[in-house]
Amino acid sequence: MTELLRIFGAPMILFGRTLVAIRRHGVDGRATLKQVVEMGSRSSLLIVSGLAFFGAVMVTIAWAQARKYTGNITVVGPAYFELMVREFSPLLVAVLAASRIGAGTSAELAAMSVNEQVEALELCAADPIAELVTPRLIASLIALPSLMIIGTIASTVSASLVVTFAFGADGSAFTDARFIDPSDLVCAMSKALFCGAFIPLAAAARGLKAKGGAPAVGEAVTAAVVDASMGCLLIDFVVAAAFLLIGV
Amino acid sequence: MTVPSDQAAVRIACEAVTVRFGAVEALREISLGVEPGEQLVVTGQAAAGKTTWLKCLAGLQRPTSGTVTWAGDDVAGLSVDERRRRQSAFGMVFQSDALFDSLTVLDNVLLPLLKRGVSREEARSRAEDVLRRVGLDAAMTKRPEELSGGMKKRAGVARAIVAQPAVLLADDPFAGLDPVTERSIAELLLEVSRGRTLIAALPDPVESLPLPRVVRFEEGRLARDEGGR
Amino acid sequence: MIRAVGAFGLMLARLTGALGLVLARTLIHLPRLDRRELFRSVVLFGYRSLPLALMAAMLIGSTVVLQAGFYAVKFGARLYTGWAAGYALTREFGPLLLGLVMAARIGARNAAELALLNVNGQIEGLRGISLDPFRLLVAPRVVGSAIAITALGSVTFLVAVVFEAVSSFFSLRMPLRVFFGSFQDMLRTADLWGGLAKTLAFGLAIALVSTVAGLRARGGAEGVGRASASAVVLSCGAIFSLDLLLTPFLTRVFG
Repeated sequence: MTELLRIFGAPMILFGRTLVAIRRHGVDGRATLKQVVEMGSRSSLLIVSGLAFFGAVMVTIAWAQARKYTGNITVVGPAYFELMVREFSPLLVAVLAASRIGAGTSAELAAMSVNEQVEALELCAADPIAELVTPRLIASLIALPSLMIIGTIASTVSASLVVTFAFGADGSAFTDARFIDPSDLVCAMSKALFCGAFIPLAAAARGLKAKGGAPAVGEAVTAAVVDASMGCLLIDFVVAAAFLLIGV
Repeated sequence: MTVPSDQAAVRIACEAVTVRFGAVEALREISLGVEPGEQLVVTGQAAAGKTTWLKCLAGLQRPTSGTVTWAGDDVAGLSVDERRRRQSAFGMVFQSDALFDSLTVLDNVLLPLLKRGVSREEARSRAEDVLRRVGLDAAMTKRPEELSGGMKKRAGVARAIVAQPAVLLADDPFAGLDPVTERSIAELLLEVSRGRTLIAALPDPVESLPLPRVVRFEEGRLARDEGGR
Repeated sequence: MIRAVGAFGLMLARLTGALGLVLARTLIHLPRLDRRELFRSVVLFGYRSLPLALMAAMLIGSTVVLQAGFYAVKFGARLYTGWAAGYALTREFGPLLLGLVMAARIGARNAAELALLNVNGQIEGLRGISLDPFRLLVAPRVVGSAIAITALGSVTFLVAVVFEAVSSFFSLRMPLRVFFGSFQDMLRTADLWGGLAKTLAFGLAIALVSTVAGLRARGGAEGVGRASASAVVLSCGAIFSLDLLLTPFLTRVFG
């Protein structure tokens, strides 16, 4: 319980302060765009290859099971596609982004913090939250849903290719959107948005607190990535449970 | 060359200021006042509390207990906007220079002006003036990582003074510099701080920066205070 | 684009070389590891990460059931939930997600510590007094973190299963007996071994990758930050690649 408070407390406070900073100073469009490009280009390779590999692994497992029990792998295709869109892809993209974006953001901000650059910003009459946190928060809110869409496409393509070429079955069953309805998309998108907000806030909270040289930077990155990935697991669980309970 | 200041000189003071980082006491019950235009050196070994004290005075570090006052007003009692407005009376040369690595030297120096709402053309001409004064006009378009230690320090001084602060704080400005560069940075600090408050933190007093008042910290306590008005 | 791919390939080649070197030297040093350092790293990486690993296991178990349960309710196959959740957990999600969390916790920390020693010149210093830094510092860490991750993997597996059962009781109103019944009937010990083999491979990969990232660190606070960030990211990449390589092999061996 205290663990939960620790993981969510500081990012929540920072979220409040960021909202205040947005109201006071607005959003710097150019800085935000720069962060979107940075986050997108840094994470897309990891996420695309990770999810493509994952798609291939999942159909390999499904194939091994199908041979034992049902015999025909294409039967599970449409359901697999729905599960991928609604559950697997948001979860894995969030955890991967927590590593990539969380580590990058916390390393950057922690280094700025121990090098006194955050204080220098304050003496330049700039608000460090508006300069450093706001663009990263907005950028991540844009980047995560986009990364999720790209990741889902990558895993689906690789799954249907593996089924077609490695197992000689009809791979198009794994791109069959028969079972996908709006609630699946809403579920996936809300996961992406919550995690998208949480990751940069958790990383920034750890990074800006870093004080006292290189050891502090290492600690900040470790703690930030742990916070971000645990937070994303938890958000994922809560959203999945909520959607299951209201029955959509 | 004296420069008219944007900021009215103020008396800054701290009363029984204690700062704790976890179990470590960086400052213990420090009470000191600095008059407008006064120039002093703060000496003390590493971890004696000099940096923390400078940051308390500039409102960058909130004391665990005790009060810091600007012209008699408690800093902790100011609203965020008010604190930020009055904080612009301070310029600080950081120990680690704290230049923004993603910006050129010119953009580093422009930032304090632009954030204060100075128009782009005026900011540019003022920044170029200041860079000329610190002898960096040839390095304006370079990035901080391409500069030598002494040049970085000069860029840090330029950024600290470009908005004409009433109070200039310099945290260990000679660290890692050779004697010749040290002397030239000292001359620069003396020149740009003329008519302003100057507080320089140093391990020991140096001949090249002969300031009238010398304060000494030892393990977070005030050990000596000589030559004050 | 071509240049980016080329640079990426070069980096990959260099990284693989460094990984091979660290692995080979660790194997050479295996018979005479520094015991104290080995013990220290097992405690530091394993024991200290236990609360986090348990929490991750709770979440992973509960989430897997929600996902499998959603599927089961939809197709009226509630009876298979235990099997599906157990199978997914042992063979894919358990090792994968635990590996990703441990990459964050253990990989980042290991890289940060080594990077710090490196940046401060302490590793050079050991060499200066003719002590082999590899035997003293590096090899015990590689072995220690691999042991720690595998051990955490097996402990947390049990916790995750319990939470699967609890979560299916609350979310699907499935009696615990039914859950464990289908779990017992359809899951074999071979599935467990398959999962453990994956965990071991991931643990070794995290240990090697983070060690290499830490030893390559240069230049102050930024260097340490970059090293631990790249340790996490490269570990994640390694985990997914290994997962792809191992799964067909493991399904053949363990069915």
